Amino acid sequence: MTTTEPGTAEEPGRAGPSRTQRLVMGGAVLLTVLLVGVIIGMLVRLPGQPPAPPAYDSVDVGFAQDMSIHHTQAVQMAAWERDHTTDPVLRLLATDIEDTQHGQVGRMLGWLELWGAPTMPLSGRYMTWMADAPGHDHREPGSSEPGVTQMPGMATAEELRRLRESTGPEMDVLWLQLMLRHHEGGAPMLAYAADHAQTPQVRNLAAQMLAAQTAESEYLRELLAQRGGTPLPL
Amino acid sequence: MASGKTSKAARRNTPAPLKKNSFPWGTVTAVVVLVAMIAVIGTYVAVRSNEQQARAEALAPFTPTAQNPDPSRAIPGIVIKEYPGGSHVGPDEQVAYTESPPFGGTHDQVWAACNGVVYDTPVRSENLVHSLEHGAVWIAYHPDRVSGEALETLKSKVTVPYTVMSPYPDLDRPISLQSWGHQLKLDDANDPRIDQFIAALRLNPNTHPEPNASCQETTLFDQHNPPPYQPAPTPGTPGARAEDESVDPSRPMQTG
Repeated sequence: MTTTEPGTAEEPGRAGPSRTQRLVMGGAVLLTVLLVGVIIGMLVRLPGQPPAPPAYDSVDVGFAQDMSIHHTQAVQMAAWERDHTTDPVLRLLATDIEDTQHGQVGRMLGWLELWGAPTMPLSGRYMTWMADAPGHDHREPGSSEPGVTQMPGMATAEELRRLRESTGPEMDVLWLQLMLRHHEGGAPMLAYAADHAQTPQVRNLAAQMLAAQTAESEYLRELLAQRGGTPLPL
Repeated sequence: MASGKTSKAARRNTPAPLKKNSFPWGTVTAVVVLVAMIAVIGTYVAVRSNEQQARAEALAPFTPTAQNPDPSRAIPGIVIKEYPGGSHVGPDEQVAYTESPPFGGTHDQVWAACNGVVYDTPVRSENLVHSLEHGAVWIAYHPDRVSGEALETLKSKVTVPYTVMSPYPDLDRPISLQSWGHQLKLDDANDPRIDQFIAALRLNPNTHPEPNASCQETTLFDQHNPPPYQPAPTPGTPGARAEDESVDPSRPMQTG
């Protein structure tokens, strides 16, 4: 029985392959072509495909986390001034800063959500994403850990308390001083992200923040000088 | 049929085994190539998904993602309850909370300032529950059972926005963490579950009702002189508002 089986395929008696063989061969060729296609598809990223989200230790994630916290304090100080000043010029400026930076925080938190990244750094250390830049090694003196525990320009709890406890022109001057220092302290972070973030939208927003805040810092200086105040050291 | 074939083979004078041997080589090669390709694809897919999983697991198992919207479910001891948001009371009303400390439900119209605020005195729960609705994590501690280094450790967690801490005199354990609809009670300030709770729930857009709502102090809440804590009335006490009042548009507003 078994010896006759191989012969069955040769029944047409021709030298070429049988109908079954051709079918099998055709199927195999088709399958091979399909699998080659699948492998090529695995290796090649289509132009329309979104890029992989930035890693947790990327500039993009670090900037979005830290700048959200930095901005949140500016929003907090601006809201306080808007609610308590009697100076219409400062109330308008405070409202502008509050609205702008609150919206920017929303954008950055939205990106972090889309990237599946933590909303805020858990380590309690900031600016670790700037550690490898020449001249930007934000290590604190005596600390071997990268990053800092307090970002430049941030008001201390004591300074915020003084702001809340002051009134009138004294409050206005202190607010201008704190906001000016806050803008200036954030500038190196903005500049670094504008240059080094991998996501074009992150670079763009950082550059826009930098341009707007640099111009606004000039305005804050003017307003401070008009009210007899001097800038705080960074 | 069989006889005809035998005669054909005999006529050709070719040894049959040779033909039999030569035939399967093409098939064998084809099968081997196909199996190899399937193996390559399979391995690639398996390795890739393993890598992604390992990365996610190693870097932030408690970070909310689209695949894992509430990572706090993996924290041992977590208590999770469903609360509707939005129901408010006035400054002179009390809510008959059934949890102590409360972690959701009806609350004051004004939230407690929660941008990294450490309160030294017990604060009115109705205001703090509103802060939870805005995405904050509230660290409550028993003032007689947590002090010194342990207290400093807890305070060190409250340096960033959307984090607030206050003593809670009626606490049945040394430490209790609250997020909207989530609570974790602990004995040790160095318990790793504290960071896990904060990572999983602070500003988690999937677990609190009002993303991007504020934590800053308002003109209606004095951060340096907050309304004091009062024990919650038992449910059914005359004048006390229910914890689970839902916002029903067909019902007239009860607050003045």
